[in-house]
Amino acid sequence: MMDISKMRNIGISAHIDSGKTTLTERILYYCDKIHMIHEVKGKDGRGATMDYMELERERGITITSASTNVTWKDHTINIIDTPGHVDFTIEVERSLRVLDGAILVLCSVGGVQSQSITVDRQLRRYNVPFVAFINKLDRTGANPYKVKEQIRDKLGHNAVLVQIPIGLEDKFQGVVDLIQMKALFFEGANGEHVVEREIPVELKAEAEKRREELIDAASLFSDELAEAFLEGAETEAQIYAAIRKGVLTRKLIPVFMGSAYKNKGVQPLLDGVIHYLPNPSEVRNTALDLNDGEKEVELRSDPREPLVALAFKLEEGQYGQLTYIRIYQGMLRKGDELYNPRLRRKFKVGRLIRMHAHEMEDITEAVCGDIVALFGIDCASGDTFCSPGINYSMTSMYIPAPVISLAVFPKDKTSADQMAKALGRFTKEDPTFHTYVDPESNQTIIQGMGELHLDVYIERMKREYRAEVETGMPQVAYRETITQRADFDYTHKKQTGGAGQFGRVAGYMEPCEDKEYEFVNMIKGGVIPNEFIPSCDKGFQAARMKGTLIGFPVVNIRCVINDGSTHPVDSSDIAFQQAAIGAFRQAYEKAKPVILEPIMKVTVEGPSEFQGNIFGSLNQRRGIIVSSTEENNFCRIEAEVPLSEMFGYSTVLRSLTQGKAEFSMEFLKYGRVPNAIGEELKKAYQEKRRKEQK
Amino acid sequence: MVKKELIRRSPLRGLEKSLKQPLQKGEIAVVASPKGIGKTGCLVHIATDSLLQEKQVIHVSFSTRTDHIISWYEDIFKEVARKLSSAMEVHEEIIKHRVIMSFNQEGVKTQQIIRSLTAMIRDGNFKADLIIVDGYNFYLATPEDLRLIKEFAKEMGVTIWFSATVKPENEKIWNRDVPPSLKSFEDLIDVLITLGESEGNILIRLVKDRESYPRKDLSVRLDPKTLMIVEEKK
Repeated sequence: MMDISKMRNIGISAHIDSGKTTLTERILYYCDKIHMIHEVKGKDGRGATMDYMELERERGITITSASTNVTWKDHTINIIDTPGHVDFTIEVERSLRVLDGAILVLCSVGGVQSQSITVDRQLRRYNVPFVAFINKLDRTGANPYKVKEQIRDKLGHNAVLVQIPIGLEDKFQGVVDLIQMKALFFEGANGEHVVEREIPVELKAEAEKRREELIDAASLFSDELAEAFLEGAETEAQIYAAIRKGVLTRKLIPVFMGSAYKNKGVQPLLDGVIHYLPNPSEVRNTALDLNDGEKEVELRSDPREPLVALAFKLEEGQYGQLTYIRIYQGMLRKGDELYNPRLRRKFKVGRLIRMHAHEMEDITEAVCGDIVALFGIDCASGDTFCSPGINYSMTSMYIPAPVISLAVFPKDKTSADQMAKALGRFTKEDPTFHTYVDPESNQTIIQGMGELHLDVYIERMKREYRAEVETGMPQVAYRETITQRADFDYTHKKQTGGAGQFGRVAGYMEPCEDKEYEFVNMIKGGVIPNEFIPSCDKGFQAARMKGTLIGFPVVNIRCVINDGSTHPVDSSDIAFQQAAIGAFRQAYEKAKPVILEPIMKVTVEGPSEFQGNIFGSLNQRRGIIVSSTEENNFCRIEAEVPLSEMFGYSTVLRSLTQGKAEFSMEFLKYGRVPNAIGEELKKAYQEKRRKEQK
Repeated sequence: MVKKELIRRSPLRGLEKSLKQPLQKGEIAVVASPKGIGKTGCLVHIATDSLLQEKQVIHVSFSTRTDHIISWYEDIFKEVARKLSSAMEVHEEIIKHRVIMSFNQEGVKTQQIIRSLTAMIRDGNFKADLIIVDGYNFYLATPEDLRLIKEFAKEMGVTIWFSATVKPENEKIWNRDVPPSLKSFEDLIDVLITLGESEGNILIRLVKDRESYPRKDLSVRLDPKTLMIVEEKK
């Protein structure tokens, strides 16, 4: 059985273009799993092993996360390749959930950029310990010392060098290991032979100085090391142990460096993964006991305990659906029966698989801590599997609500069928991707986290499913809300032969800051019978799904009922629902409703010379510039901009800055739409309704 | 309390009254003290007061972390708005009127700061009334630098408040005189105040007010806890 202390589940988190895919691919190579190195945009037409989707290959970025198993110095490492683009954050977040540690890759020229900050925030949210790797030391302008300082200043981490470079840019040759105090060179056709030599004379003093800094920082985590260091008798083992302690608590970040592309510095990084990143038993994981009011229970990395596993990734492979799972507790054998609490269904484990880049290996068992895949299981990503007899669910993952939607129209019948298939698949794979059919227009609507997010799925529909689709204009997910309290007193009465309908509800609606919707029952003396109270709630909920301003859901509203009347014969569930809907409409106008729009937090980075252009472009988009930071002729601007103004911004930004600036954005909050724009939206909505009624 | 009342009762009116006239567009004011006395708090309070009056403020800083500055504003706003009835809405409103621009201190030239500020005001269409420059290094700057800034202030019609850190060991700022490190800038500075600790209080001293040198302790002081300007306790 696998020794859990020799297991690592790591992710490689990075800014786009910092060379993550190349690094991942080199790691696989050195771990002896693949025998040829392909570049991301390889000339031989084959992309790197990890990002195998055709589309990704074309764009040179990695979109899906695939888990790959490698072996390094008798340790098992599962590598989750995480996407770099911020529009796919949910994929990153989902991977982070199952990781125990990470490598944060930074470019030695670009340093800490806006997306690095986003990625760092994600690591923080899931409390993932990590080491840093400064890549591309062979590039012009490479400066690992500066990048290390940026990790300290911009990310606020206690970063310390464990290596220093031997030469930089086109003279980059290798690294000095500050713990072993050895110069490391990478020889052989693909840098596969790590050769230790004496530290070059001219680097001796620098190495001594940096080693001292490193040990000073590490000593804070080990008195033993601190004492030994005073006596000049510190051992390598003491230093490794002290750094490890710092890393596990995220209070120390060891910084590695190299150039994956030039095959330099990758093997010492792998050693670092083993030295410093936690094994699965060192990470605290919890689940919710559904039989005990969702009480939090701690999971134990013990193969003898009942099984608890999380399905974190679904993939449609050539041979059917592949479900990637992370086992948190217990042991899984081929043929075992498992339970899915969400579906309340048991299922049998047919094939159990370990994934190596693009080949799979059939295995018979896996233990807690491991990441494996199952074949042909019906489930959604985010589902928990457990041994029959327990009813646990892993904590629900943080899933942001979609902010943008798009109508899709299939070109013909075949495309329509294929599109339906594709959409079914995507919604299972990606919880931030939603789809529904608009009952009024009968159009299929897809929703997601940004323009690029939806673009990728449209592309996938075309390529993987051969579904020819056209798309409408992107639509922003507006909301409506009320700004003041308003009373209602509404009687629903209908007597047109047969059984009549009667219900009267009275009360008020008011703004409610912290909840999307709240229903409060203050009925006394049974003027509305208890059985019809839920009907009122239902009615309000139905009414709030479509505000009367522009037909979007009404949020931050509290509906309170305090009076009403009933009829012994004519009152019914339906009658009270209708009464509540009427009451809602009656009060809504009086409650001064307003329109809300999603506001994005936008970060733009580029050379300072384009600062004016960037300021101008944000200002034109109703953006509020929150801050601007300038450093070495590079500026980073943070702004809050309505999503509706951000369509096509990447093109605009590119042309304004000769392609030298980039931006990232994420959902921040809902904000009130200015009156003039609100009026336009209302007019457009009324226009649309008029047309539909004709 | 409504906003108007809050502005009227602000201790900053006390500071204004001590001057011959409130600061005008194109004028430069400096608050000087040794490190850690409360210059930033004092300036953020001044900025917040302007924001409440619906003026637009650019806050220039030389630290790479803008979130620290934002939390300064959050804290001081919370204090100021404690008695305000519509604090939430006012907060929303004032955020729109504030921009933080930060520069890496090392090697940033005054011309570059002016260029960026101009870009913000012109291209960013941000009509600033007040610019706070926190932590400007007067030891490295030359009078020519400050002259350029003053020209810029006049051209754009903004008031600029600087903070200047002075080294206590070689500067006798306690005698209510212009600190030696600011001597060469004296003519360009319209209003100069210094902060000094005395028996657990932080006193505010008006050293220079345009042509005159009052060299007196003001009736307002800095609260040692919140580092905000308060009226002297009677």
